[in-house]
Amino acid sequence: MTEELTATEKPSDNPVLYVARPMATAARQFAKSLLRPSTIVYPYERLEDPKFREQVQVASGKPIGVGAVWDNYRGVHALNIATCISCNLCAFSCPDLCIEMVTVPGGDPKHAKKCPEIDYGKCSYCGFCSDACPEGCLTMTTRYELSTPKRSEMVYSPQKLYEVYRTKLPMNPIRLERPANEDSILLDPPLCIGCNACARDCPTQCITMLEIPKPTAKPGEKLPKRIWKEPVVNDSDCVRCGTCVSVCPKECLFWGSRR
Amino acid sequence: MSDIWINMGPQHPMTHGLWNLRVRIEGELIRDVDPEVGYLHRGIEKISEDRHYNEVVTLMDRTCYVAGLSWEHLYMLAAEQALHIDPPERAQYLRVLCDEFQRIGSHIMWYAAFVQDIGLMSPFLYGMRDRDLVLDLFQSYTGARMTYEYMRVGGVRNDLPPGFTHQARKVLDWLTDRFHEYDQLCLGSTIFHKRCDNLGVLSGKDAIAYGVTGPMLRSAGVKRDLRKDRPYAVYDRLEFDVAVADGADVTGRYLVRMEELRQSVRILRQVLDWLDHHPGPVLADRVPRWLGAPYAPVGQEGYLLKRRFPTGVGFSSVEEPHGEAQAYVVNQGGEHPYRVKFRSPVYSNVSAARQYLVGYHVADIPPIMGSVDVCVGEVDR
Repeated sequence: MTEELTATEKPSDNPVLYVARPMATAARQFAKSLLRPSTIVYPYERLEDPKFREQVQVASGKPIGVGAVWDNYRGVHALNIATCISCNLCAFSCPDLCIEMVTVPGGDPKHAKKCPEIDYGKCSYCGFCSDACPEGCLTMTTRYELSTPKRSEMVYSPQKLYEVYRTKLPMNPIRLERPANEDSILLDPPLCIGCNACARDCPTQCITMLEIPKPTAKPGEKLPKRIWKEPVVNDSDCVRCGTCVSVCPKECLFWGSRR
Repeated sequence: MSDIWINMGPQHPMTHGLWNLRVRIEGELIRDVDPEVGYLHRGIEKISEDRHYNEVVTLMDRTCYVAGLSWEHLYMLAAEQALHIDPPERAQYLRVLCDEFQRIGSHIMWYAAFVQDIGLMSPFLYGMRDRDLVLDLFQSYTGARMTYEYMRVGGVRNDLPPGFTHQARKVLDWLTDRFHEYDQLCLGSTIFHKRCDNLGVLSGKDAIAYGVTGPMLRSAGVKRDLRKDRPYAVYDRLEFDVAVADGADVTGRYLVRMEELRQSVRILRQVLDWLDHHPGPVLADRVPRWLGAPYAPVGQEGYLLKRRFPTGVGFSSVEEPHGEAQAYVVNQGGEHPYRVKFRSPVYSNVSAARQYLVGYHVADIPPIMGSVDVCVGEVDR
């Protein structure tokens, strides 16, 4: 050992001492715990109470201030339905497949608005969904009490998640920045038929269909039967949800680097 | 008197988890032992093949439930090697911060469980109380107390909250005093020495032959610590000593772990000083999109393979609180790892049970197995 044992750490052959010394340590701890208990009386006191957060001073040894629920605790989600753009990214990024996109009232009649419904029986509170959310409308709160007598109540509908949002609990303040060299949506022009499916389903409306010149057919050549338009993706508005790639009937949109 | 086989486990206070120790006894004397593991097998290696590179961290926290961040670090080192990504310097320091706080948390947890095995109740409560401070610190910057999901390929998820280093230093000061009390309660008592000296002896030669690593190996006087021998992250820039004890018995393992707690505090003070003065990014900016939080949706695998992302193989080994853990990740260009393999240190430590249990009495099994620090989640994976 690098450190020599001090006198109180050395065992004693005196039977009185070898019982008395550890007992003295325990008695000291007991006295300290009477002055300032290490536990809280849970249903009456709560970790999110301001007194656990504000007391940063050391009272009787135990550093307080740790011991509180911090703002970036990953508890029950809060969903702001108004800003949700139905991009599906939360459901795609969930490792436990506990998020399902369900239709909520609102949105234009052609495209139903879909918001996440979370099954807390499966959720592992990893926070990948709130990291993925491009609009910051799905966040995690400090709420941790989930017990319920019914299994069906573990499934939180978008409306129930919105109620959590309205309680104004502290939200997870951490926002991830998008990677600098993020891939873009690229087009394979010969395959495109100009069907407008990508622009129609894009949640941010960042795809516009631009007209392309119709080539003049040479004698004997047959032009492909298509609409002479091509999608152009606005990279700064794109949230990289990949909806356009999934709906493309000809698989002509794909991920790639512009560089 | 004839021999009989008895089962200690799968439900037994000695096991600290779900495993079974079959013991052949003659009276009170142990003649043979046969450890049986596998009750907690979840197929983490196979599940990893179906997850994106980042999503595997959710499994790593559940591999060893008292040292989740060490396992996250282990996997990330291998994955980054396979994907050719370098994490920024500050992220590496943050990972060392995680590792060492995790070592403190794990060793205090071991102390609490071990003293209860030898019949002490008060130190158990002290240990559990003090470990909570470490868990609270984890919660303040990772967002959870046990399942952290903090590390990402190419760095860590977020930076420290303001005021963290101040709190962390206060916790370290407080814990340093407690380590002194732990020693008073155990080493200061002759009863402890009568119970634990020359018990469960595993010589250094046997330990190396069985692949036993970690505090069990170092208690036999073998100076082997991956943080010194094969430095990863930024351990080569930090000053610390390798804790070694002689005797190769239960007391030796206690001494090694207590010394490691003090060395971890020493490392952490250096890391906190560095973090105070060197702000910077915590996530590499050259991370491919398909590793980020939003993933390429269904039907993208073909394109990703077509683009020919660089393939690679990653191997990493980390000095985990229980011993040397190793990971092997094969990247064949897709968005999931092709193969992931983990080496658990406790698996080897438990496999050598015949060497350090035979010849002792049945009542010696709890302290000896307690000194091994079994974490079944990691053995069975």
